[in-house]
Amino acid sequence: MSPFLSVLTSVVAWVGAMLVVASVAVIGPARLRETWTDLRDRIWDARRVVALVCVVLLASAVGRPALLNVSRLFGIQVTAFIYGLEGGFVAWIQATFASPALTAYFSRVYVYGYAFLVAFPAIAYLALPRTADLRRLLVAYALNYGIGLVLYTLVFAHGPRNVMPDMVTPLLFTNQPDVILLASEVNENSNVFPSLHTSLSVTVGTFAVLTRDEYPRWTAVAVPLSLSVVVATMYLGIHWLTDVVAGFALAFGCVALAYRFVDPRDDAVASRSDAGGGRPEPGADD
Amino acid sequence: MTRPISRRAALAGLGLAAASAGCLGRTENIAGRDPHSQLTLEINATPADGDPNGIRIARQLEEHLTAVGIDVRLNTVGQTDLWRKVLVNQNFDLYVGQFVETEPFDSDALYGLTHSQFVAEPGWQNPFGLTEMPVDDLLERQRRAAGSDRSDAVDALQETVCDLQPFSVVAFPDALTAVQGARFEGWTQDRQPVSVTGLLGLDAVPDADAAGDGGSDGGNATGDDGNATADGGNATSSATASGADADGETGTALRLVTTDDRITENWNPIAAEYRRYGTFTGLLYDPLVRTDGESTVPWLAADWERPGANTVDVALRDARWHDGEPVTASDVAFTYRFLRDTSLGSVETSVPTPRFRGRSSLVEDERVLDDSTVRLTVPDVNETVAARALRVPILPEHVWSDRTDAATIGGFEFDFETTEAVVTNNPEPVGSGPLRFVEATAGESVVFERNPDHFLVRPAPDADAESSGETTDPRAGVPPRYHGKPAFDRLRVEVLPSDISAVESVVEGLADATVSNLGPQSVPRIGGSDDARLVNGRSAAFYHVGYNVRRSPLSNPRFRAVIARLIDKSAVVDEAFDGYARAAASPLAASPDAVPDSLAWTDGTDPVHPFFDDEGSLDVEAARTALRDIGYRFDSEGRLLSRAQ
Repeated sequence: MSPFLSVLTSVVAWVGAMLVVASVAVIGPARLRETWTDLRDRIWDARRVVALVCVVLLASAVGRPALLNVSRLFGIQVTAFIYGLEGGFVAWIQATFASPALTAYFSRVYVYGYAFLVAFPAIAYLALPRTADLRRLLVAYALNYGIGLVLYTLVFAHGPRNVMPDMVTPLLFTNQPDVILLASEVNENSNVFPSLHTSLSVTVGTFAVLTRDEYPRWTAVAVPLSLSVVVATMYLGIHWLTDVVAGFALAFGCVALAYRFVDPRDDAVASRSDAGGGRPEPGADD
Repeated sequence: MTRPISRRAALAGLGLAAASAGCLGRTENIAGRDPHSQLTLEINATPADGDPNGIRIARQLEEHLTAVGIDVRLNTVGQTDLWRKVLVNQNFDLYVGQFVETEPFDSDALYGLTHSQFVAEPGWQNPFGLTEMPVDDLLERQRRAAGSDRSDAVDALQETVCDLQPFSVVAFPDALTAVQGARFEGWTQDRQPVSVTGLLGLDAVPDADAAGDGGSDGGNATGDDGNATADGGNATSSATASGADADGETGTALRLVTTDDRITENWNPIAAEYRRYGTFTGLLYDPLVRTDGESTVPWLAADWERPGANTVDVALRDARWHDGEPVTASDVAFTYRFLRDTSLGSVETSVPTPRFRGRSSLVEDERVLDDSTVRLTVPDVNETVAARALRVPILPEHVWSDRTDAATIGGFEFDFETTEAVVTNNPEPVGSGPLRFVEATAGESVVFERNPDHFLVRPAPDADAESSGETTDPRAGVPPRYHGKPAFDRLRVEVLPSDISAVESVVEGLADATVSNLGPQSVPRIGGSDDARLVNGRSAAFYHVGYNVRRSPLSNPRFRAVIARLIDKSAVVDEAFDGYARAAASPLAASPDAVPDSLAWTDGTDPVHPFFDDEGSLDVEAARTALRDIGYRFDSEGRLLSRAQ
């Protein structure tokens, strides 16, 4: 497993560095200090959604192999349908735009940029005095993963690089073969519908737009970066346009649900006085 | 009670209305007809990660079928699911796949593949559903006839099969393998390197630790000498060669990488959907005889003879199962009985084996003569075919006799018409082969180790005494290059996500060879280091497009012949295989001197079903004309019409 560990270390190191830089540039030292002193209270305040995210991630990690078998045996096979629907769109993207510089850019965005994009908002919203945005974000993540897992099980499909290798080059893998090992740890090649890269990126991008008053700089970074991840999924031949469209729908749906489930009024560390009582947080724990 | 208005009801209403107009008969005559619609065909193939070549054939066919006016669904499924769909459930239109034998095979392989007696059985026996008496007759003839009579029968058989096209042979691939020359040498140059005989023929590079100088280039045919030292010195030589073995285990490990994870979860030699060529189960389970190049060598059998025209007497070597039980004649008799009906009569209809069916069907009866001799009744067949009957894996009776009951799920019996033996993953496999199972992590890796009790490694009884060494040598009849083999103590197969990462792994020295197929994107990566190189032996496991002959319009041989002409085999070889393949018309094209002139591939075109070629691309009009000529019709938009399916 040494190649796997080395690529993992590289990702962790790069993303960690990006997080540090972004924390200073976007959140600012003052807020970070404040967050540090108030950290325990805020995490306590968001404990339920943190637990929810952990449960979903754990269930995903544990259940995925079994669900994959269910998907293979009983899932709806939609590869042919998707391919019939959009044909060579992804091949057209590659044929029209592919260049070494873009390939290098999108490969990095897909791996490093995506990890950074998903990790940073958790820090940024933790640095806000009110935890509503943090809780919404985490609920949206949990929903993305949960619904994504259900769809992966129901739908069995392979991506464009697997269906038309004559026209779609697996650019990520030819460009950074090590990354394959990491990607396959995280993702099976039959889990393409919907694109979770797209849905999580768009979720982050949407939140970034909604919180533009707090973090205008983050909005300026997150929106182009999340759209880059979206394009990267197709440019690299991993996802169909259909997966991406479904990813957008999933993202918007999850953000909407997160806003519905997380009530901002019973919020803020100020309301901690009644934190002991069963503060209603409808739906989030369901 | 409200019900939605069906088409029939709507027409009934119309008819009623029309009746008043006095033309009921005419409306009925129209409404009673089912409308035509566009023909839909589904092509099944494995995704590029599983096999980079097959999907490219499927893609070309999909494009050409679409151009002609057929609605094509290109469906990708995993390798297990593809064979389950095609071989077990027979629920497919077309598929793209590979034949299961990598060594050049005898024409009798077509018996299992195309004989109509197997039409109702799941497995590799007649998956197409072909029922043609001329084919059956020729298959029987090539079993009986000998000499030039047999050649004539084989020629006629190939011509008939080519005419009828139950499957279209596309190309014979080169068995592309990336190998790391630093630790093992003797990789087969002309055949599939990762095969039973290929792996057993390997030699450890002496003093592998000092292999940094990259001096070991060739590796061809070094296997013939050096076996004399292999006997006694194994323990010491392997200890020095442990080299870069990441496992930290003692001894030499041969490390293979593949994209095919089936061997990490299933070790059942007769499970058709889990076996590709059966290489690793072939190392776990010994057959009575093996083919080695052109010759047939006695393996688990010490010797065999034909006392009469209808019988073969097989004398067994002294051998033990991996659990220590002796291999006896009754195990052999059991195996043939079992392959004929894996339920041994306990289920109402017999459940024959889904693999090895053609050759095991040769044996009609078996009788144990003594502990180590068995008499098989093989009615009236020539020598070649009789020897083929001996090439099935011999199974231990004490393990498999418990698996003859109908398969159940959670104790409940469903009507699957199969037995536990067919569906078991065969955990902790007990064979008698040169390798035995150690451990596996499903989806990740599997480890085998050398069987120290195997006749290949058992030292010959000291030739000091009276008995002449010839008869008591435990390996008598086995070519010397297999003596003392395998040259590794452990065999580790690791699963990687794609052919590219498999090649990278070999180039970086983390693995010794790739197992699964390499595509045009991974091959150029070999050569990044001094010791990694490409070995391209020839494989007989031809790529083909299989048709489900049970389904209209694929049931029409003329229709299949037109589809065959939509495959541009030369372009497939150039583009999908990057030239590492040979186009062919006959399934026997890899077998020496088997193909008649009428089927020889010459001038880059198929001798029987030439591609509708229009300067390199498909001549759509010619293809449509051919379809019209055999009775098919198109609508105004150029769609090929058929009855609603």
